[in-house]
Amino acid sequence: MLEVSAIWTAQVQQQNYRALLDAISHPGWVKSILHQAGSPASTAVLATLLDAEVSLADPEGLLEAADWPLLQASTAAPEEADYILCMGSKAAQFQPRLGSLPSPEQSATLIICVDSLHEGELKISLEGPGVNGNADCAIAGLHPDWLSQREDWVCGYPLGVDLLLVDDSAVLALPRTTRVEVV
Amino acid sequence: MSLAQQFGFLDEYAKKEIRRTSLKAVAIPGYQVPYSSREMPMGRGFGTGGLQLTLALIGEGEVLKVIDQGSDDSVNAVNLRAFIEMTCPGVGTTRVTGEADLIQSRHRIPEKPLREDQLLVLQVPYPDPLVVVEASEEKRKQLHGEADYSRLLVKLYEDIVKFDEITISHRYPTRINDHYVIDPSPIPRWDVPKLHMSKALVLLGAGREKKIYAVPPYTKAEPLAFEDKPFRVEAFLDERGRRRACARCGCDSSFLDEYVDSNSGHQVYRCSDADWCDEQLTRRSAPEVING
Repeated sequence: MLEVSAIWTAQVQQQNYRALLDAISHPGWVKSILHQAGSPASTAVLATLLDAEVSLADPEGLLEAADWPLLQASTAAPEEADYILCMGSKAAQFQPRLGSLPSPEQSATLIICVDSLHEGELKISLEGPGVNGNADCAIAGLHPDWLSQREDWVCGYPLGVDLLLVDDSAVLALPRTTRVEVV
Repeated sequence: MSLAQQFGFLDEYAKKEIRRTSLKAVAIPGYQVPYSSREMPMGRGFGTGGLQLTLALIGEGEVLKVIDQGSDDSVNAVNLRAFIEMTCPGVGTTRVTGEADLIQSRHRIPEKPLREDQLLVLQVPYPDPLVVVEASEEKRKQLHGEADYSRLLVKLYEDIVKFDEITISHRYPTRINDHYVIDPSPIPRWDVPKLHMSKALVLLGAGREKKIYAVPPYTKAEPLAFEDKPFRVEAFLDERGRRRACARCGCDSSFLDEYVDSNSGHQVYRCSDADWCDEQLTRRSAPEVING
């Protein structure tokens, strides 16, 4: 009997999509992701967003081999991919797609696995669309180079990348419009 | 249609594409993200863009309100609501703004301020405000990218020269987060300030034109204007310069629709937002009930 986790069902994906929409509408909010016990929440995020229409890069080999056929997404180099699955503890070794001036949406979305979105050594303060005043976050397991690299990627608005930081059970979004300050 | 139909009518691939598109729309406030708008069992131009968004967003247990020109009982709202009820078992519907998780609307934003946990979907016929000054979409996309709205401002200036004020009554071009200018859908001027720093996320869907865009919560939304000709909303003043009130509930702070009384032939003004009018009426009559 083939057993498929609930993260591949329409009902769970609808709920996880709404969590992602809440997260990207409110940078700094930590939203719970429904996921399978023992499987990272990042897989549930990918299951919610990906299908055969888009490409995924997994330069660190974080995704279980068995999940690839379920995602249906094609593989691509990080420089070409629509979605990139990344490890937060290690700084990026690639240049993601930033989109173009007429089509800024043709840019990568980075799903970055971190240790915790609730507490951690990296304290940041956020400002920008979706943030009421400013929002303070503490993150564990995100290499500080990610933030300076992100600065380079998003400095030419509307070009940029959108980041989804995911720990073992939740997501926090940093869309390209968010101004991040380390405190 | 059989009840064994897929929840939400759309197949999961269509929903996923709309979901991916909406996330990019929120990440790039005001930018019209293209998507492959699906064929719906109703004509394009009847709210298929808003409907597809709602169907991709909504889940079991959520409560939906559908509005057409401020009323839940107008033909477009009735039909869209019936379709969603049929294809989304487990979804509740309401007419009360405060009870809704999701609100799909045509031509109005509710008078009652929306909350952070609510979401507004607007049906859009014409998404691109630059279409009046530039016919080529390729060139419009470049102008949007560069935030070059000089030709649109010239168009507004021509209005001032001719009429001494900007004469756009609805679909007022509005700049989002200091960059993209959007067509906020055919809402009246009255509703445009509600987009500014809104607590609720606003998603806009144009089915025929295949575009989705967004005004995220707590985001600047500024109607285009000039320093010496500031933007202003409808005043609803009578001949003596006094603010008209709703003939039904007495509210003098809402957007009013003008009717002609078929008996007297006189003009009558009533709240456009039906739920708001009901709420004001209940509030006004409540003390009488207590006294009675």
